[in-house]
Amino acid sequence: MQGIALALTAGFVVAYLARTWRFPAIPFYIIIGIVLGATGLNVIHESETAAYLGHIGLLFLLFTMGLHLRPHDVLARRRSFVRAGSVDFGVNFAIGLIAAFLLGLPLFEAVVIAAAFYISSSAMALSSLIENRKLGFPESETVVWMMVFEDIVLVLFIVLLAATQESPLSIIIMTIQFVAASFLLVYFLKDPLRRLLSRDDEVPLLFVVAAVILAAYLSNLAGVPDSLTVIALGSAFSMVSHEAPAAIARPFREVFMVLFFVFFGVSVQFTGALSPLLLLGLGVLAISSKLFSGIIIGRLSHRSTLSGVEIWSDTAARGEFSIALAALYGSVMVSSTVAALVVITGVVGGFTGMYSPRIRSFLKKGKGTLQRTKHSTPAIQFKKP
Amino acid sequence: MDFHQLSLPGIGTKYELETDEKDIISVVYMENGNVQIYTRSRAGDDYCSAELNAMEARRLGNVLTGAIIEAEQEGVEISFSALCDLRISVHTYIIRKNLSGKSIGEMNIRSRTGATVIAVSRGGKNTVNPRPSYVFEAGDTVVVIGEADQIKLFEKEILG
Repeated sequence: MQGIALALTAGFVVAYLARTWRFPAIPFYIIIGIVLGATGLNVIHESETAAYLGHIGLLFLLFTMGLHLRPHDVLARRRSFVRAGSVDFGVNFAIGLIAAFLLGLPLFEAVVIAAAFYISSSAMALSSLIENRKLGFPESETVVWMMVFEDIVLVLFIVLLAATQESPLSIIIMTIQFVAASFLLVYFLKDPLRRLLSRDDEVPLLFVVAAVILAAYLSNLAGVPDSLTVIALGSAFSMVSHEAPAAIARPFREVFMVLFFVFFGVSVQFTGALSPLLLLGLGVLAISSKLFSGIIIGRLSHRSTLSGVEIWSDTAARGEFSIALAALYGSVMVSSTVAALVVITGVVGGFTGMYSPRIRSFLKKGKGTLQRTKHSTPAIQFKKP
Repeated sequence: MDFHQLSLPGIGTKYELETDEKDIISVVYMENGNVQIYTRSRAGDDYCSAELNAMEARRLGNVLTGAIIEAEQEGVEISFSALCDLRISVHTYIIRKNLSGKSIGEMNIRSRTGATVIAVSRGGKNTVNPRPSYVFEAGDTVVVIGEADQIKLFEKEILG
């Protein structure tokens, strides 16, 4: 209990300060875990209960993510967001994978690192758009749909990483059965479900929580990754109602994800990890590679490099999904690397998100002076003869 | 006028309007019930923004639809376009000492002015449709309804 009480109290303080001073909270939850855990002051220890509660938080995070994957919306948008999403994936996953190989990691670890390197923090990107009042910009739409694309890629990664264990084919078949079953169930029970979810007593609350935990339990029994089934469940639920299940999942997600982040920090060990300089280098590379992909996307989708800078400023931060991948599939070394990655990109991404209008106007001014000097050259040439 | 709707998963729904003057107005309904509004004038590329809670958004909506034509300090005029342009004024006043202890019936408010007191707020407690026997106290806030002329008469005859 001591660890959980401390983690939640510290989490509350961080959340409060983060809201007041408008910086992203996720990197600081991890820092708290590192500081209070075995690596630091050694007052919080890993425990089964904390791990279990953190896992519940993760399930509700993924369930909420699934709720945003509304099949109709996604299919309707297909073309426009696949382009931006593919560039984002292609550039960042490739750079992440090359970096991981150069660091001498074996294939499985390298893929986990590359995936964590690629996937931006949806939580930080969306809150940057809202808090920094950027929803008016046309780039905001690109950013939001890039996050949806990343969610879909994350699903594929979970399948891929799970399939590397013992019997890949049976896991994939079981997974498909689970996903199909949840969609079919929701599809045929649309009307009773809608009635159930629109009640205002405790029934819908118990129903949604039971559905999520039951889905996780059944998939564990069948040996299918539970992270995947809850995403599928969320996506299936979104056909009936989006607001009600999202509102129910929120308190579980918000509270238990804090435990998940803090205890992830606690679990991080820096003995046998990469040298601090290499970690810093990886962080800088992660920020630069998102700038590179952002500029390509900006030029492709908005015909403007500055749009790319804006897209970069909101998506530079890695966060919850990178940590989830590391926690689910990573070794000790992967965990410490991803922790450093999230802390560095999260802090920098918080700043770029907040100051992107200034960065843009600064770049615009720079461009302006460049153009002026270009125009003045002919005048000088005229004087020459 | 060009108006379109965008779904922003994880944030909400955005409605974007380009006016005839080529200004852009975006309204984003967020999942927490708040609304963010962005405007960009055709002259510049900087956005102005505002965040409204559900109540503020409703009030702004009322102003924009023209339901409230005249917003005085403490009164509003409501017009019902469906009812031959029927216009009703609603006004609030604070009762001063000179009316303390007098009842609505005693002052013959309705027959002298045509206006009606429809609600009284006293110390945080509201009385809707007070009876003629209702006795005012200094500091009461009253809500009076009537045509603009009747409201003027109420100010002159009753409040003095």
